Amino acid sequence: MTLSLWSLGAGDRCEILGYDDALADKYRVRLMEFGFHPGESVACVQSLAFGAPKIYRVSNTIFSLDDEVATHVLVRLIDG
Amino acid sequence: MAKNRVILIGSPNSGKSMLFNRLTGLQQKVANFPGITVDVGTGAMRGLPDTELVDFPGTYSLQAISAEEEVAVDYFERALKDDQVQHVLCVIDATRLEKSLYFTLQVIRDCERHGKCVTVLANMIDIVEKNDLEFDVQGLSDALHTPVLPLSARSGKGVEAVTRRLADSLLEPCTPPRAHLVDTPDELLRGAAHQLAHRYGPKGDVLIASQARLDNFFLSSVTGGIAFFVIMYLLFQSIFTWAAPAMDAVEFLLGAMADAVVPLVPNQMARDFISDALFGGIGAFLVFVPQIFVLTFIIGLLEDSGYMARAALICHKPLRLFGLTGKSFIPMLSGVACAIPAIYAARAIDSPRKRLLTYMAIPLMPCSARLPVYTLLIAAFIPSGTALGGLVGWQGLAMFGIYFFGMFCGLLVTGLVSRTSKDQYTDLPFVLELPPYRIPGLEPLLRNAWNRAKHFVTKAGKIIFTVTLVVWVLGYFPNYGADLGQSWLGHLGRVVEPLFAPLGLDWRYGVAIFTSFLAREVFVGTLGTIFGIEAADENMAPLVEHIQASGMTIGSGLALLVFFAIALQCVSTLAILSKESASKSLVVKMFFGYFLFAYAAAVAIYQLAHWLT
Repeated sequence: MTLSLWSLGAGDRCEILGYDDALADKYRVRLMEFGFHPGESVACVQSLAFGAPKIYRVSNTIFSLDDEVATHVLVRLIDG
Repeated sequence: MAKNRVILIGSPNSGKSMLFNRLTGLQQKVANFPGITVDVGTGAMRGLPDTELVDFPGTYSLQAISAEEEVAVDYFERALKDDQVQHVLCVIDATRLEKSLYFTLQVIRDCERHGKCVTVLANMIDIVEKNDLEFDVQGLSDALHTPVLPLSARSGKGVEAVTRRLADSLLEPCTPPRAHLVDTPDELLRGAAHQLAHRYGPKGDVLIASQARLDNFFLSSVTGGIAFFVIMYLLFQSIFTWAAPAMDAVEFLLGAMADAVVPLVPNQMARDFISDALFGGIGAFLVFVPQIFVLTFIIGLLEDSGYMARAALICHKPLRLFGLTGKSFIPMLSGVACAIPAIYAARAIDSPRKRLLTYMAIPLMPCSARLPVYTLLIAAFIPSGTALGGLVGWQGLAMFGIYFFGMFCGLLVTGLVSRTSKDQYTDLPFVLELPPYRIPGLEPLLRNAWNRAKHFVTKAGKIIFTVTLVVWVLGYFPNYGADLGQSWLGHLGRVVEPLFAPLGLDWRYGVAIFTSFLAREVFVGTLGTIFGIEAADENMAPLVEHIQASGMTIGSGLALLVFFAIALQCVSTLAILSKESASKSLVVKMFFGYFLFAYAAAVAIYQLAHWLT
C-alpha cells in the first residue's frame, strides 16, 4: 500500500517509491541529494508533538522534514 | 599576491571551517557576495609560501536550486578555469560517507573536465577510530582514482600530510584524476555514491545511537522544551546583559578620549564638531560591536554544537503560520536586544524568501533602544498605581503591552506579506540535516565573531557616520549650537509640525522624532535639550514633569508609544539591512512602509483616545 512519508510514526521503516506530482522539481532534487531516492530505505526516528517536523534516518544521516515536503514523498511500509 | 591558489570545498557540517583554520591559522580574509549569505574566505597556507587557500561556502551539491547556491557554484566553476588554481581539496565527513560522496563525485568530475588535481580529505577520522568503525581509505582512493587522506581537523592528526601533498604537487605538478567521470550524469553519480559508501564506508549504528539519545532529550516535549527555554534565555542574556559591560567600556573609552582631545582644540566650532559629531558619530555605531561579537559567537556555538538545527525544528511549526521558518526564531529573539546583530543572525536562514520575511520582522521586535523612550512616555502618562492587591502595576502592564504589540506587529506583517506577495525570492523546502552533536572549536568561533564585527564597522560605519554628520550640521547651524530650537533642524521641525498635529504633537516633539531616526534613544536627549534639562537620558524625572506640564495629552503619549513601536528609526539598522540584503529598494520600502504604518496607527490611537475622553 502506498503511503506518504509524513504518515509514518516513530519506529516505522519504509522504502521510498517516488514523489507525487505536486512536489516542485527543485525540492525533488534536494531530497535526492540527501539520499531520499526511490528504492532507499528510510526510518522515522522521532515524531514530535504539535505537528512539528518529523525526524527521519537515511543511511547514516538524520534529517528533519516538515509535512509540506514529507506528504509528497510516496513510500511503502517495510516494518512498523 | 599568491602565485598558487588551492580550493577548499565540502558539504555543510563536514568540518571544513575548522580544517581551513588548521591549514591557514587565523589569517583569513572574507569576501562577501552582495545580497546573499555566501562568504568566500581566503588565507595563506601555513608552511607554503605563495600559496593561498580559498574556502568555499559549504554546499550539498553542484546542482544549484537557489540563486545563492548558483552564485557559489558559478564561483567554483570560474575558479576551476583559473590558471592560478593548482589543486582542489574536497572535504568529506568520514562518519557519513554517502551524503558527502555524491558531492565529491561531482567535484572530481568537474576537476577532470578542467584538468585540475583533487585530493579528498576524509575528516573526523578520530571519531571513526574511537568507535572502532571500519573505513577502507585505500579502497575508496582506488575506486575514486583520487588520493584520499584521512585526518582530524579537530585534533590536527593527518593535517601535515595535506600540506606535504600540496607541497609535492607544487614542486612537481600532480596528475589530474583519470577521466573516468567526465561524461557521467548526476543520476549515475548518486547511485555510485550509494555503492561506494556501502562498500568502503564505516558501518554500524554507534554514532546514530548516541545522537538519538541526545535527540530524545533535546527534542522531547518536556525536557526539550525546558532545554530550549534555558538556552534561549542564556542567549538573550548574552546580548542584553553580558555584552553590556563591554558596551559601557566602549562608551567610557570614547568619552575619555573625547575629554582628553576636545580641550586641546582651540576653536569652539571645531571642539563641538569633534565632541558631538566625531566622537558622537563613532560612538553611535561602535557601541554595537560588543553585541555583534557576542551574539555571533553564541550563534556559532549553537550551530557548531548541532543545537541550532534542533532549535529551528522546535520553532518551525508556529512560525510557519506567519510565513517564517524555525530558523527565524533566533534572529527575532536577538532583535529584542538589538536589530543589528539580529540581521546578521538571519544569515543562518537558507531560504532567501524566509530570510527576507525575517528581515521585515526584526525591526518590529522591541529592541533595547526603544526602552528609554517607552520608560519616559509610560512614566509621563501611565499612572504608577497597582491592581489585584499589588500584583499588577499599571506601568509594568503598559511596558509588557507595548513589547507584545511590537512582536504582534512583526508577525502580522510577515503573515500578510507571505500571503500576498509574489514569489520573487526563492523558497527552499524545510529539509534540515540534523548534524551530530559536537564540541565546537573555539578558534573558528572567535574568528567568525571577529569577522562579523569588522564587517559592521567597515561597511555600516560609513553610512551611519555620514548621516550623523548631516544631522549634526542641521542642529548646529546657523547659531552655532546655541539653541536647537533656532537651528535649521528646529526650523525643519516647525515646517513639518502640521504632519504631527494629528497626533496632538507640536514642533518640539517633531524635532525629537526627527533626531530619533539616528537612533531611537536620541529622542529622550533631544527633548531634554529642547526643554533645557541637562543629562535627561540619565535622569528622566525632570523631563517627565516638563512633558506633563507641556500640555501633551494621554492620547498623544499613547500615539507616540505606538509610533515608536513600529517606525524604523535606526540608521544603523537601515545601513546594515542595506548591506546584508544588497537591496536599497527593500530598505527604502521598509523605511517608508513602516513610517506610514506607524503614523496611521498613531493617528488612529490618538483619535480613539480623543473620542473616548
